[in-house]
Amino acid sequence: MTRVVALRAAILVASLAAWEIGARAANPLLYVPPSAVVPALGRLLTLDSYPDLPASLLLTLREIVIAYALAIAAGLGVGAALGLNRLAGRVYGPIVAALYAVPAVVWYPSLMLFFGLDAASKIAFGFLLGFFPITLAVLAGIRQVSPHLIAVARAFGARPTAVFVKVMMPAMLFTLVGGLRTGLALAVIGVIVGEILGSKAGMGTLINHAYGLFRTSDYVALVCVTLVLIVGSDAVASLVERRARRWTD
Amino acid sequence: MSDLIAVDRVGKRYQTSSGPVEALRDVSLPVGAGEFCTLIGPSGCGKSTLLGMIGGLVVPDDGRVLVDGRPVTGPDPTRVATVFQDPGLFPWRTTLENVEFGLELQGVTRERRRAVATELLGPLGLRDFGAKYPRELSGGMRQRVAIGRALAIDTPIVLMDEPFGALDEQTRLLMGEWLLDIWRRTRKTVVFVTHSLHEALALSTRVVVMTARPGRIKSVLDLPMPYPRAMESSEMVALRATLWSGIRDESLRAMGER
Repeated sequence: MTRVVALRAAILVASLAAWEIGARAANPLLYVPPSAVVPALGRLLTLDSYPDLPASLLLTLREIVIAYALAIAAGLGVGAALGLNRLAGRVYGPIVAALYAVPAVVWYPSLMLFFGLDAASKIAFGFLLGFFPITLAVLAGIRQVSPHLIAVARAFGARPTAVFVKVMMPAMLFTLVGGLRTGLALAVIGVIVGEILGSKAGMGTLINHAYGLFRTSDYVALVCVTLVLIVGSDAVASLVERRARRWTD
Repeated sequence: MSDLIAVDRVGKRYQTSSGPVEALRDVSLPVGAGEFCTLIGPSGCGKSTLLGMIGGLVVPDDGRVLVDGRPVTGPDPTRVATVFQDPGLFPWRTTLENVEFGLELQGVTRERRRAVATELLGPLGLRDFGAKYPRELSGGMRQRVAIGRALAIDTPIVLMDEPFGALDEQTRLLMGEWLLDIWRRTRKTVVFVTHSLHEALALSTRVVVMTARPGRIKSVLDLPMPYPRAMESSEMVALRATLWSGIRDESLRAMGER
């Protein structure tokens, strides 16, 4: 365990050193060395370079939360409808799977046309990206629930709602949590990519601004802050996942 | 006196890919309160179908089943509890939580159902296993949890569909003794499906032999002897021979059909 940590630290230090040396040798305007990122991060966090950082962070976070909540609601609803109704599942299931395979970014221009440059189009894009993995996870999850367990629950008097809540939900928790985690990652990507592609506020806009003005060290500092946001949300998701898997292996 | 369970001329046909199959034909069977009634017969003779009808999980095509004088229209966990061959425990629930399942569906409070389940752990031989998940238990233990889940809802009738069928011989014998002890203490009415002659003779007050498909009742054997039974006594050995000769013909017929 300590060896893993040590090796991990070693490769981190080595790559930072390589980055520093490489960036100093090249054009420092384009290749920012870590030694320049640290002060830039300082300026960013003291609200010196971008005073509207808190507001932008909050806006992006809000867009992510709304997009993700909508994706969960719609994904659970559509997934359950297609999973529990055999005919609907056979008709629409493959369509959902096919749409998931389309690179979603092709939809973004039309979303901007529909919803404008404000938060709505980012929420719509984050929703669109998060919706598919959740729906497909519910579909796959329902398919893998043992019919025997459902029969047992019915024998003990469970009605359809109780069967869903007490048997199907826990039985597919595995698959479901995996889908929810993927959905969260994609919703975050959707919102941030949406902001970078065209927006008036949010983290993506700041990133765009810094990068457009060749304020490369500020740009890297902003990316670092965004990274923390994403890694943090994934850490929460993985915690939930581990708890859900308590009863296995 | 009216019977607790009255199976009244039931029949059942299934559609399969190779055409219709008649699983049961004109089966009538009364079961009195407190009986341990065992159904035995060749594979595919409709024993499980018959059990499913009493439990309300299978709808008969002909005839009807009465429990306590009322026709069965669906599962009724206030009167009938079922134990399946595959214990069907919920893997995400601990032993206690599995035992509590039926009570939970009936809206019994958390404290009350935990008390009922905890009290059952002793007789189930699972005192130290209340917080374990099914994957941590042996096959025999899992089946005891399933039996506990059925006993917890305290119904007058317990149906058991080859509950020990998947266990090894030694475990099976011990589980039979254990079940007998439980049944004699609770005095529930049990309808039991098995392939084991030994189990049928050691446990039952009555053995019902069924024919090969379509399943009908071939013969009924009453066993009024006291428990525990000396299985090596000349009386039991003779009964075993009688029972086997009846089942043998049907099993041969069932094998010939395959």
